[in-house]
Amino acid sequence: MTPLAPSVFLPTGARGRTAGGGRAAWLERRIGLLLVAPAVLLILALSVYPLLYSLWVSFVNYDFLVPGHAFVGLRNFASVIADPIARSSLATTVVLSAIDVAMEFALGLGLALAMARPFAGRGLVTSVLIVPLFISPVIVGQFWALLLQRPFGPTDYVLGILLGQPVTINWLSGFPWNFLALILADVWQWTPFMFVILSAGLTAIPDEPYEAAEIDGVNGWQAFRYITLPQLVPMILLAVTFRLLDAIKLFDVIFMMTGGGPGTSTYTASFFLYELGFQHFHLSEATAGSWLFLLLTAAAVTFLVRRLLRAEAAQ
Amino acid sequence: MSVVRRRRWTGRLRFLAIAAALLYVLLPLYWVAVTSIKPSDDYLAVPPVWFPAHPTLVHYAAALFAYRGLAGLSHSVTVALGATLLSVLLGTPMGYSLARFRTGGTHLAFWVLSQRFLPPVAIGLPIFLLYRNYGLYDTQAGLVLVYTVMTLPLTVWMMFAYFRQLPRELEDAARVDGCGWWQAFLRVAIPLALPGIAAAAVFAFITVWTEFFFALILTSRHAFTLPTVFRSFISFQGAQYGESSALAMVSLVPSILLGVLVQRHLVRGLTLGAVRG
Repeated sequence: MTPLAPSVFLPTGARGRTAGGGRAAWLERRIGLLLVAPAVLLILALSVYPLLYSLWVSFVNYDFLVPGHAFVGLRNFASVIADPIARSSLATTVVLSAIDVAMEFALGLGLALAMARPFAGRGLVTSVLIVPLFISPVIVGQFWALLLQRPFGPTDYVLGILLGQPVTINWLSGFPWNFLALILADVWQWTPFMFVILSAGLTAIPDEPYEAAEIDGVNGWQAFRYITLPQLVPMILLAVTFRLLDAIKLFDVIFMMTGGGPGTSTYTASFFLYELGFQHFHLSEATAGSWLFLLLTAAAVTFLVRRLLRAEAAQ
Repeated sequence: MSVVRRRRWTGRLRFLAIAAALLYVLLPLYWVAVTSIKPSDDYLAVPPVWFPAHPTLVHYAAALFAYRGLAGLSHSVTVALGATLLSVLLGTPMGYSLARFRTGGTHLAFWVLSQRFLPPVAIGLPIFLLYRNYGLYDTQAGLVLVYTVMTLPLTVWMMFAYFRQLPRELEDAARVDGCGWWQAFLRVAIPLALPGIAAAAVFAFITVWTEFFFALILTSRHAFTLPTVFRSFISFQGAQYGESSALAMVSLVPSILLGVLVQRHLVRGLTLGAVRG
């Protein structure tokens, strides 16, 4: 385990020996800035500038259906906030990502513990378990749609055999099955993420406390509760933070599996903003909404990263 | 229960859990693989066909040609290679600068990191509008630029972490021998960092290869990438099961191979270098 915060041992670089005139000396003195400049400029051009531009868009009329760019004040923000679909999609985002990440964490931790001790073929099993991480979420949505969808998917058939009676579940359009389907797909793709990071955390825990505990007659659960878990906390926070910040952007799987439907019941925040901007072309409302979403995300990032750094510092 | 018997039970439970996880991971993969070679008549058979008696490659041909999968594939290769190259070319120097000179302090480093967590839709909407004005909409160049910015937090932070753990004695020795910082960077640090650069490049490539949202909103008929072709197969329209499965196989095989190739670096890749695996 290594700390997230940059270490402090580094000197300031190029000053001193090459101080003096001339272009070469200037290049040498400014190397730190010159090396970051291209990347920083590109981020400024393609991330910061668009965000500022979208701030302008969110305060004017920018709608492919209504000509002109008149200043409208906070009207775009007001209409998004008043939109019941915006609220329900935000609620769906929060609930769905919380359930997704909680399940991925629980399963990933269980899997990491099960795989902790070496056994024949562990390397191969690990290689198989991480495969979902390298697949496009669109294709993951496609996978689960194929498996679950009636009448083609084999799921209802297999369930029917297991339960001994015909099963006719509309996995992609019936509540609550459609949410279960979305969770199945997300958990399938991202449990390996938790598994990989938590495994690294488990590997980093030294053996001595366990040896001491064994001598003291501590049982497996106590060893887990009082040795493993506390040592794993920074890693858990890191994994959950990273995962949660991605989970709240959920879009692709919705797009492929439910299309937000039936109706707007499986809209997430990202999907709602996409529909608003790119299907209905209410661009200024969509940018206003995405600024609100961005601020909520930033609040979550700040909160989670603070906690993460505090846990790092406490270690 | 005696200790020995309890051990045996937890041992069994452990392997049961691993077996269940393997089944969960492999089942969808198997179903897609088998669907991609299944004749269309087998789609709706009851019971489902797990082993097609007459495997066929017609779906691959249809997916690649009739559904323009081949064009998507070729755009995906170009865009992913271009963005990876650019991201590594810009990200490696920045990572080095952050590690050796602490340029911009922690603020600059965390500012780059924060880009990683921006919601794509917040960036995507204005970029869509700007690209339309500047003629970058539906071009591969436009997509390369967006993906470069998208992967910069990854390459910068992975290289930042890599250069930090690289011993600086060799660079110092080179400087004692009369090299400037530029030469120490180009001739000493870069060659030493090649394994790290390769790993960062592979992760950037996979990120771009699997990306959907920006490709969806920034391209249409000319620069569309492979993931966007799946729009034609959306679950609630039509029944191109074989075609969609064949295209899924075409897309996932390269990224899975690459991913397993850099498995050793996976922890660093997933945490942007914050955790050394």
